[in-house]
Amino acid sequence: MESSESEDVTTVREFSANGTCMKITEVEAKLDEGNIEEAESALREGLSINSEEARALLGKLEYQRGNLEGALRVFDGIDLEAAAQRLQSSIAEKQPTKKVSQHAASVVLEAIYLKAKSLQKLGKCTEAANECKGVLDAAEKTFCQGTPDTQVDEKLQEIVSHAVELLPELWKGAGCYNEALSAYRNALLSQWNLGNDFCARIQMSFAVFLLHSGVEASPPSLAVQVEGSYVPKNNLEEAILLLMISLRKFGLSKTAWDPSVMEHLIFALSTCGQTSTLAKLFEELMPGIYHRIDRWNSLALCHCGAGKNKSALNLLRMSLHKHERPDDLISLLLAARICNEDPHLAAEGAGYAQRAINNARGLDEHLKGVGLRMLGLCLGKQARVASSDFERSMLQSKALQSLEEAVRLEQNNSDLIFELGIQYAQHRNLTSALRYAKQFFDRTGGSKLEGWRLLALVLSAQKRFSEAEVVTDAALDETAKWEQGPLFKLKAKLKISQLRPMDAIEIYRYLLALVQAQRKSLGPPKLSSQGEDDKINELDVWHGLANLYSSLSHWKDAEICLQKARELKEYSAATIHTEGVMFDGRGQSHEALVSAANAVLFEPNYVPCKILMASLMLKIGPKALPVARSLLSDALRIEPTNRMAWYHLGLTHKDDGRLRDAADCFQAASMLEESDPIEGFSCIL
Amino acid sequence: MSDEESSPTAGAGAATATNSPEKIQTAVESLTAIVPSLSITSQSLLSNPNLYPQISTLLRKPNSGSGDNNLCRWLYDTFQSGVPDLQLLVLRFLPLIAGVYLSRVADRKPQAGFEAVLLALYAHETTSRAGQAVTVTIPDLTQPSVYHESKTPIKSNATEPNLAVVSPTLEPHGTVRSTRRARIVGVTLELFYSKIAHMPASSKVDFCEFCRIWAGQDGDMYKNFEENENGNGSENREKEGSEMVVPKKVEGRVPLPWELLQPVMRILGHCLLGPNNNKEVELFGAASEACRCLFARGTHDVNPQAILPMRSLLRLSKTVMPNSNALDPTELPVTDVISL
Repeated sequence: MESSESEDVTTVREFSANGTCMKITEVEAKLDEGNIEEAESALREGLSINSEEARALLGKLEYQRGNLEGALRVFDGIDLEAAAQRLQSSIAEKQPTKKVSQHAASVVLEAIYLKAKSLQKLGKCTEAANECKGVLDAAEKTFCQGTPDTQVDEKLQEIVSHAVELLPELWKGAGCYNEALSAYRNALLSQWNLGNDFCARIQMSFAVFLLHSGVEASPPSLAVQVEGSYVPKNNLEEAILLLMISLRKFGLSKTAWDPSVMEHLIFALSTCGQTSTLAKLFEELMPGIYHRIDRWNSLALCHCGAGKNKSALNLLRMSLHKHERPDDLISLLLAARICNEDPHLAAEGAGYAQRAINNARGLDEHLKGVGLRMLGLCLGKQARVASSDFERSMLQSKALQSLEEAVRLEQNNSDLIFELGIQYAQHRNLTSALRYAKQFFDRTGGSKLEGWRLLALVLSAQKRFSEAEVVTDAALDETAKWEQGPLFKLKAKLKISQLRPMDAIEIYRYLLALVQAQRKSLGPPKLSSQGEDDKINELDVWHGLANLYSSLSHWKDAEICLQKARELKEYSAATIHTEGVMFDGRGQSHEALVSAANAVLFEPNYVPCKILMASLMLKIGPKALPVARSLLSDALRIEPTNRMAWYHLGLTHKDDGRLRDAADCFQAASMLEESDPIEGFSCIL
Repeated sequence: MSDEESSPTAGAGAATATNSPEKIQTAVESLTAIVPSLSITSQSLLSNPNLYPQISTLLRKPNSGSGDNNLCRWLYDTFQSGVPDLQLLVLRFLPLIAGVYLSRVADRKPQAGFEAVLLALYAHETTSRAGQAVTVTIPDLTQPSVYHESKTPIKSNATEPNLAVVSPTLEPHGTVRSTRRARIVGVTLELFYSKIAHMPASSKVDFCEFCRIWAGQDGDMYKNFEENENGNGSENREKEGSEMVVPKKVEGRVPLPWELLQPVMRILGHCLLGPNNNKEVELFGAASEACRCLFARGTHDVNPQAILPMRSLLRLSKTVMPNSNALDPTELPVTDVISL
């Protein structure tokens, strides 16, 4: 051992004190033999120091050598408590001659600190914590009126800072969480003159403790609070506050960047639905911390989580640019998902989805099914705005093909099964639709409202009204009051289809009562991720009732309902359409036509109005036939499965003398009628 | 929530003193009638190491959740006794009950026994919160706080406080309606989370195990998450792909709406990042796997609200890995010259 060290010239290990030095090796040998006393006296003589100081040096040596038990034996030889007390009393006597140097204090405190560290490493956290607390108590008492010198001794400050940081860790290790909590607070709220890095580490560690310890901390005491300042009420608030402060300190270049601060914030904020706040923090970060693409992608996730899909998509478009990171799978899939919400973006989305499929290789192969699913969904959406029949049917069959392929890879994905059900239903392939609807229902155990609705609608399209009603009734049993709106509406329509309008009216009345009750128990706070979807739409109820009354030629009642609807929303194509129907029913063709035209102006794609307008045109006479025809063609472009549009187109052809075309149209209408659901399938989406 | 003893060491001792010994005795007697092999006394009820494994085995049996199941009845009665220690004891089994329950929903088996226990926990939470929502105010740094000063103290409340809803208001439920199932289970998990400092590791391990099952996704491909992604990530991915094993076949996926996912993620955060948890090797392993699986699930659902937190958790779990040789900042520097 000695030979190896003598060869190593660069590192001369030695003790130094009072300006003299001493080779460590000389003392080390004695220690190794277990002669602490001899080692001590050798040091005392060699460096002209007292026994305490010698012990402190020896302890430090043992600690550095990793001989923790040895270090403890050495430290046990000094009465650290007494030494600490001596420090305090000499201060109290205020004798300038007996002035305690900060240096003397640091020798004692360092020894205690190392004792605590040794105990910690030996797994004796409670004892260690008590020693460590001793360091802080002594420092606090000794220097309660500030240090005798104007400058704080660097070493003393370092020991104290370390002790401040160590103490809560020790209490945590010992499982004493309440003590840890007060140690953290004491560290951050007392005047320890901590450096920024110490402070940042403690804040972060405390934040993690608050977030994940599961110990509910009482808020910081009122004594330390300034009036008008923000007071965290619970763990989560306090943790978020601390992390935000850490982030800001970094922004002011006071501390080094620690990526975990941001990760903890992401976790804390996103688990309480605050991705919009998170987005703000990402935006405020200085450039260069994250790679710009990473930042864009994270921001996109935040925006999308907060429902700001447009902003998210814009960011994704940048990050997926061919010069950036065009193959990033999560971004591709997210972009496709966002595009799927708008038929006009669906083509773009299909492109992203295709790229995702192409890139789902190796470790990411498992995402291929997701890519196919997104592709299928986007193509299905794109079909809605297709400019030709040919294009539409091609897109639709491609969409189905993708989804079928996806479901082979993602057999367990209930959402995908639902989407397939909808896709088939819209295709009027009711057998397949029913199969998927049932499958979805089983997989989710009836936990999704849309599962119930899809099942009922498919059954209604198959004209199995009573079964559809059974499903609806069962669904009503399984839902809470405020979510029953769509189900009751469905039920009312089922009653109408079964030619029981009076039952339907009863249901609408009940719905109106629900609306009243809902208004009284005004809005409970919602999870920010939840939409307004579990509210009964009052406008819909009045409108539905108005339609029902007008179909029964109860004009007065219909008018009242319509008025109510108008109060809620003055200009709505749906209400104006009903108005038109009523005028028409009462023989006021001209007024009806005006209404229909108005509604088309409000909402150019509102199909029922186009049909109404066309039917009124038909009555005007042969001159108006071309207008009617173009209106109906337009309606069919938007909604190719609308049987009423086909029927009226048939009438138009017939009036024009094109009997063969008329027959084709009537046949289409009659075929569609056989598979017509009582509500459009797309209303579930 | 905070009036409970929060330290696990102080908790048990202090609480038993105030508990009613008769009720504990009753619980012991009726449990011994159900599980005769279990030798417990009222003293050892809370600490018996055989209790958890034995009851777990029973709870996992095929018909464990039926309405006439004695164990479910015992759990229900014991929780309803109102004795805090007994309630904590029942709560230990919640991950198992919720896990088995949700996994069996698709089988359409009657599970009235489980539902009764879940509803009792739900009702307890509803009462203790008085049905109120749990919210947090997101701090605004322009306002000074105990931990920082602000140069521009804006007195006026010009900016609305940013309120985040952690858990919405609770309605009373007498039965488990299928569309409310996730919420009810979610709320019981919220209760579990609020007492998680008192829960034994075995219970948390079970929880993590069910997270993995619920996710319904294999997460093994994220074992080396972001470890070799320095710009040329795609190349690396391809190379590894050639030697990739076929993904495991996984079953048991359940719908994970936000109301369920949120408490799940928070509990998982505790399991991975809670104090001293990295010393529990089994728990840490189970939690890490659950985390990977849920991240995979998040990507399959293309759900930013799951991707963001789970990705962070994955990254953070790497920093607290057991035996990770991260620098200890409380270590004093080792010097060649040892001086006073």
